[in-house]
Amino acid sequence: MNKCYLGIDIGSISTKGVIIDEDNKILASGYIWTKGNPIKAVKDLLKILREQFNDEDYKIVNVGTTGSARKLIGAMLSASTVKNEITAHAIGTISKYPNVKTILEIGGQDSKIIIVEDKIVTDYAMNTLCAAGTGSFLSSQAKRLDVDVEDFGKIALTSKNPTKIAARCTVFAESDLVHKAGSGYKKEDIIAGLCRSIVLNYLNNVGKGKKIKSPIVFQGGVSKNIGVVKAFEDVLNEKIIVDENSHLMGALGVAILSKQEKEEHIFDFNIIDLEFETKAIECQKCPNHCEIITIKKDNKIIDSWGNRCERGTI
Amino acid sequence: MTIGIPKALLYYKYHILWENFFSYLNINTVTSPSTNKEILDVGIKNSIDEACLSLKIYLGHIKYLCGKCDYVLIPRIVSLNKNEKLCTNFSALYDIVKNTYKVKILNYNIDVDKNYDELYAFVSMARELGISRYKAVKAYIYAKEKEKEDETAKIIKQESLIKTNKLKILIAGHDYNIYDEFVGKPIIDYLKKMDVVPITSNICKKIYTDFDYKMISKDLYWTYNKEILSSINHYLKEVDGIILISTFPCGPDSLSNEIVVRKIKNKPIITIIIDELNNSSGLITRLESFVDILKERKGMNLYE
Repeated sequence: MNKCYLGIDIGSISTKGVIIDEDNKILASGYIWTKGNPIKAVKDLLKILREQFNDEDYKIVNVGTTGSARKLIGAMLSASTVKNEITAHAIGTISKYPNVKTILEIGGQDSKIIIVEDKIVTDYAMNTLCAAGTGSFLSSQAKRLDVDVEDFGKIALTSKNPTKIAARCTVFAESDLVHKAGSGYKKEDIIAGLCRSIVLNYLNNVGKGKKIKSPIVFQGGVSKNIGVVKAFEDVLNEKIIVDENSHLMGALGVAILSKQEKEEHIFDFNIIDLEFETKAIECQKCPNHCEIITIKKDNKIIDSWGNRCERGTI
Repeated sequence: MTIGIPKALLYYKYHILWENFFSYLNINTVTSPSTNKEILDVGIKNSIDEACLSLKIYLGHIKYLCGKCDYVLIPRIVSLNKNEKLCTNFSALYDIVKNTYKVKILNYNIDVDKNYDELYAFVSMARELGISRYKAVKAYIYAKEKEKEDETAKIIKQESLIKTNKLKILIAGHDYNIYDEFVGKPIIDYLKKMDVVPITSNICKKIYTDFDYKMISKDLYWTYNKEILSSINHYLKEVDGIILISTFPCGPDSLSNEIVVRKIKNKPIITIIIDELNNSSGLITRLESFVDILKERKGMNLYE
């Protein structure tokens, strides 16, 4: 029986999972939409992983979670490692590309840049209040232009003369786009312009003041869009590496991190059949009125968080 | 007679001075509690959208004091040094409060640029309360001494923290942001939980704060931001990283933090801007990964 490790990355838009062996080889992987219900998404993901998984030769000894719902899913799966997505992505990428110096990442709701030196993360930046230029912006613009977001990249590549589109802000970009469409620009030129505006927005906001050195790895959902990859290559004048598993790097990273845990907890796929329920309670014990989130497994509370002080402990 | 002191904005810089001044004169004071959700909500409701979060919190504290005291102490500070300024909010505080609440305000005006210094502010404040100039000066000198003692004690404590081998992060920002229950406190608490030693920028010897800012920017004219820059320059070599705390939308900070990020190389810096939409998970993600980076740089094992 060989040991293996499960890593799950639950983002705002998609949920990703991998099972790796001791040598970081991916044994099973899955990628589905979160649809605002992380618990259901994780259950569906586990079903996909179970089908690919060989439970006669392998057993899962540790679980790691990352992404915005890492805490919730960590409690649900009794994960041994719950890590932020920046560290997880960096570890995952470094394991495949040991020479990487810059990791660009654009996801559904956030975008970040990670600077690596000698396999060590030395600096990072993340978008702050605004989700301009992320995956959700692209998909809403695709809808406006009546194009499938999956075809966006292909159409962008056919353009010979990308239109200039305001890159500062989603609202400006959108009104600029409407204006350009109205004044007769070709659809492919507008789409290529949008890809370019995403790149410029990213470099001006998240990448501001950072030295982007080669080798550069680009990941996150938007890295699947070849139009954006091409725009990055044009603007930076460097080769951009996009891994075929670029969407799985966070899950891979946290699975690798879970390997470092000293204790082992055997993971059982039967968790799919258990009932999980979350509930938000407003604590009334002081004027802070903290919102406490509890997670129940088969009607028993297994974890809670959100309280600012001990009075709110459940 | 009772004087109300709101526990926000300049409280954190001057409360030792104020409290000792009044206690020397046998005048009761009442201080509002640390910021809580109720104070925050009341503050947001009673201020205009454009106000910064710190000012909104301040207005919540004033509302708490309404009816609990005879006067509320609201400083109006225009300048503390020649050719320097404070954020306009500090010169406007008096009028903002007067136009928002029906409350009696104790006059406290400092404008060093026009030769109205701190002593003048205390003497005229005492005159309003029917206290002689002589007594007021004595109380001021007493309070000033207490303030100095407190400052020295804090500096000694911080200097000893710097000598530890643990990971040290400089929390740079205004006092009222660093220590506020809803702004800086969650950050400091989280860092302590991660076994990090937080060094705060407000605790720094005056001889450094008067000049060191010039190493980062020669012509910044906001006194409090100058002090922050000086402190950053002073602690730069001692700490592993810097967290710049600011509230949304702070004018002076948006400039001075940008200067810091651009001028200081080879030291990891993150800027954390707190707004009223209290989203702690985003904050934790940023802090956790920042600490991870610092640990890796220091050669500490991440996995323990």
